Amino acid sequence: MSLKNKLNRLKPHLSPSTGMKNSPENAIKPALKEKQEIPFMDVWEKENVTPYYFDDHYCLVRKVVYPLTHKHGNYTFTEALEAVLRWNDSKVQHPLSAVGHSPEELFFFDTETTGLGGGAGNTIFLLGHARLTRDGVILTQHLLPHPGAEIALYQSFLESVNYRTLVTYNGKAFDWPQVKTRHTLVREHVPKLPSFGHFDLYHAARRMWKHKMERMKLSAVEKEVLGFERLDDIPGYLAPMIYFDFLERKHPEGLLGVLKHNELDILSLITLYTHLSFQLLGLDEGRTIRETYEVGRWFSYIGESEKAKETFLNIADGDGSEAMAAMVALAAEYKRNKDYGRALPLWKSASENGTDLQKLESLLELAKYFEHREKEYLLAASYSEKAYRLLSALNREKAKKLEVDLEKRLMRLKRKMKHQ
Amino acid sequence: MKFRNDLHDIIQYLKIDDSAKENIIHWETIEAKEARTSLLPADISPLLREALQKRGINELYTHQKTAYESVEKGDSIVAVTPTASGKTLCYNLPVLQEIIKDPKARALYMFPTKALAQDQKSEINELIQEAGLNINSYTYDGDTPANIRQKVRKAGHIVITNPDMLHSAILPHHTKWVSLFENLKFVVIDELHIYRGVFGSHVANVIRRLRRICQYYGSDPIFICTSATIANPLELAEHLTEKKMKLIDNNGAPSGRKHFIFYNPPIVNKPLNIRRSATLETRWLAGEFLKNKIQTIVFARSRVRVEILLTYLQELVKHKLGPKAIRGYRGGYLPTERREIEKGLRSGEIYGVVSTNALELGVDIGQLQVCIMNGYPGTIASSWQQAGRAGRRHGEAVVIMVASSSPLDQYIIQHPDYFFARSPETARINPDNLIILIDHLKCAAYELPFNKGERFGNAEVEEILEYLTEERILHQNGERWYWMNDAFPAHNISLRSASQENVVIIDQSDVANVRVIGEMDTFSAMTLLHEEAIYLHQGIQYQVEMLDWEEKKAFVREVSVDYFTDANLAVQLNVLEEDKLRSLGSTVLGYGDVSVRAMATIFKKIKFETHENIGSGPIYLPEEELHTNSAWISLKRELYEFGDDRLEQGLIGAAQALKHIVPLFVMCDPQDVHVVPQVKATHNEQPTIFFYDRYPGGIGLSEKVYHLMEDILAEAKRMVGGCSCQSGCPSCIGTDTSAETAKKDVLKMIDLFTKAG
Repeated sequence: MSLKNKLNRLKPHLSPSTGMKNSPENAIKPALKEKQEIPFMDVWEKENVTPYYFDDHYCLVRKVVYPLTHKHGNYTFTEALEAVLRWNDSKVQHPLSAVGHSPEELFFFDTETTGLGGGAGNTIFLLGHARLTRDGVILTQHLLPHPGAEIALYQSFLESVNYRTLVTYNGKAFDWPQVKTRHTLVREHVPKLPSFGHFDLYHAARRMWKHKMERMKLSAVEKEVLGFERLDDIPGYLAPMIYFDFLERKHPEGLLGVLKHNELDILSLITLYTHLSFQLLGLDEGRTIRETYEVGRWFSYIGESEKAKETFLNIADGDGSEAMAAMVALAAEYKRNKDYGRALPLWKSASENGTDLQKLESLLELAKYFEHREKEYLLAASYSEKAYRLLSALNREKAKKLEVDLEKRLMRLKRKMKHQ
Repeated sequence: MKFRNDLHDIIQYLKIDDSAKENIIHWETIEAKEARTSLLPADISPLLREALQKRGINELYTHQKTAYESVEKGDSIVAVTPTASGKTLCYNLPVLQEIIKDPKARALYMFPTKALAQDQKSEINELIQEAGLNINSYTYDGDTPANIRQKVRKAGHIVITNPDMLHSAILPHHTKWVSLFENLKFVVIDELHIYRGVFGSHVANVIRRLRRICQYYGSDPIFICTSATIANPLELAEHLTEKKMKLIDNNGAPSGRKHFIFYNPPIVNKPLNIRRSATLETRWLAGEFLKNKIQTIVFARSRVRVEILLTYLQELVKHKLGPKAIRGYRGGYLPTERREIEKGLRSGEIYGVVSTNALELGVDIGQLQVCIMNGYPGTIASSWQQAGRAGRRHGEAVVIMVASSSPLDQYIIQHPDYFFARSPETARINPDNLIILIDHLKCAAYELPFNKGERFGNAEVEEILEYLTEERILHQNGERWYWMNDAFPAHNISLRSASQENVVIIDQSDVANVRVIGEMDTFSAMTLLHEEAIYLHQGIQYQVEMLDWEEKKAFVREVSVDYFTDANLAVQLNVLEEDKLRSLGSTVLGYGDVSVRAMATIFKKIKFETHENIGSGPIYLPEEELHTNSAWISLKRELYEFGDDRLEQGLIGAAQALKHIVPLFVMCDPQDVHVVPQVKATHNEQPTIFFYDRYPGGIGLSEKVYHLMEDILAEAKRMVGGCSCQSGCPSCIGTDTSAETAKKDVLKMIDLFTKAG
């Protein structure tokens, strides 16, 4: 029996087809052999696309320049330049700080791929990046015209990179490992991947806005935070389909939408970096109390205690729930500096006026303080007992652990009181 | 029984006591075997030599030595290694030696389960530490923490994994494993015999992918396989790896004297031919040994049997030995718990263990004195594996097989000559099964593009690549085919499940903890997972409460009932193509492609023990179609001596008997080959019995049946003829035939099938 027949017979048993349904008019045309014959070059040219030749292959490169006065969302690119310069003027340490970098050294980077997730078979068909220069934002996109042209693609890409730090959105987990994967497959033919720093703004966005946004997609951040809304945007998940269609028909029309999508992603990266920098540096007048609190927590997390205190102090005298939270956080900073004189009133206030959780946390701090610092065991025991009564505010697991801790503490305090 | 204190006394007792004697059908004594050894290889690193000597190894067994020398020469090998013959040195020694010589060299070890991989890691690490070597060996599986994965990929000299992980996590991400693939010197495949049937056919393709990636990175590893005793280890190894292999079967490990006893429980109901429960007999026998503190392992076929036997035995000896002296061992126990049991057995703190076939594999528990099998384990190969658990290198050991009343058990127990004389089963795989091949071709294309003219292992694949291009999964550009789809193909392909679109079985007994307990191919699900069906999973009864055929979900709830369900399947079978034909007297034997159209019609509730029909109901499910391979036998002439009715009854009975005999010849589970009788087959209008592969496209089982048809018929006749019942019973021709003459007719029918001229 012929294989074709067999295949057709077994069709119902084959895994649910992952392919798109085939239609006769979409039959594959043989690929082009001659390098000069780039289909629809006239259309490409109108979009500032030029071919890049390497060995027998080519890729397509699109270049767009935006003036610094261009406003993308709430910021102009001049402000992006300013953000970099302000980091350089600031003494504050921060993972997103551009200190030591000139604006040109940041490399705003995003890819489009043929599939989701990592793996050797997920091809990157578009590598896009932008740089801030004094003459404007230069955006470059390297497009894979067909599989098999990856050597040209990476050659073209690697020739144009000269940077110190990548700025991406979830690029640590996705884009860059995928670049490494595909680069490995052509590594003998193209230059090595350079090493670099990496600002992954996805994680920054999560830190700052998790409290108000469920999903941290870049398009959502644009809309909710950056004041930018896309019109007629092609959703990212359609990009693979559009690319497969392009491979068969060769006509750029669908793909131009994907290029635009990628372009906007990269511009938003610039605006997002500007906005985050302004928030972190305290230059954004529109920073909400909650955002200020998150900024403080971030500084606290990285050990920038002075900056954290300064940030919390901005909001600790208010009367909202953020103020109380800032107060507790501020007390923790004072404690870290062994400045108990300042921490004590904050704990006391929070233990009376805070939420149950804040009360609990403050009471525990007070108990510790009076036991170890002041040796006032009676007082420490009384705080401990108060804390004990608030255990129900915690989830079961944490409560159980803390219950044991508190019981131990109370036993110890009793013993100490006896010996006093 | 009066008090005895050692194994020898019990052996004597079993020999002379009347009540035991009459149930013992056969007593085979296997004499002790001396060790055959050879000096440690001269070229071995002094560090290794010292480490071995520190562990008391001053010489190698002959098979270990041959393995070492062959691998040093660059041969790929398959070593046949019975239980406890020191197989790990067959691969650890050459691998460590090579890495000492060349620290860049890498090895990939593949074990069928995570537990075995863990075991082997500890074992090889002990040797590495003893020798003070700077060699990293790691397991890489679903439990490997994310933070050390990178270290394993970059710096693991020996990476220990399983085929599923290789398939879905290593090969599709080969770019992260460059240092492994560039320097891969050895691939070790342990427990080779496990890789048979559908699973083996999948794994063979995973190995094609592995070798393709190795070739890309410029390596060509030596394969070192170890296998339990099966009929065709060399053929299986060569088929699985597509490499020329050297067979090493000069086992030099010593063994003590072994008594292999066939025990058949007495008949308690003569007319129905029902015997005493094998479990009760097993309990009694095991209890006798354990009471006398003789280390005993009991193998049971299901988890529930394990638990029943365990409870009883623990109760029996708790005052004498303490509650922790007897333990259960099966899948589902935590790794730490398993390790503790294994250690207890080795040290002798634990006297008894009741296990599923989980302990059949190479987990090290030392050697016990007695092994009792509660029922025939299903294959001769697996029986010998289990029997191998008993038998110290010196002194006597006892193996008792207690038969259940299933036809296969009864056949084996009543034909000990057959069991002892016959070589174990042949393991079959069919890596070129189209469905399996296409699945892995997709994965392979995802991993690296295909070039024109490139083969996939031994398979020619250009037509399939073209087909996949038409399906718009691949994209052809010039001389190459590229993966061009947004899916991650390995995720949709499970190496261990039978078919692509499976029915998921969901246990909703505990509303707060609804969980998936298994899956089943749609074809089998029609008769086993219809609504109200009693579904047995690991020995636990579940009732199907709802079957969502569209969504392919069966919702079940645990129950305890005294019946099972049996569904009728109306099967239409059409021969599409006759690939092979031959005559056998009045019979035509055929083999080829068939289409099976099946529709479940009604089900019956059948009471255990008595097999009474206690209820029935309709099944509403659409017809399913299966394309597969089949062997068949047809009678050339009309059978004038039978009326239509008796002809049909005879065929049904014969098919039933044949169904039970097939697993004796082909290494598979009874449900892997279906046997279907037709009074008038559509393709030749003759009375015909079909044997078809359950898996779409076939995995080589029915082809084997075609070649062995004469033997299968002869054994079926022996089984039916040798059964002590009057006119057919569940132990021979089944209960679907009610006629008084059925058994006689079945015998006559088989005669007709085999009669020359």
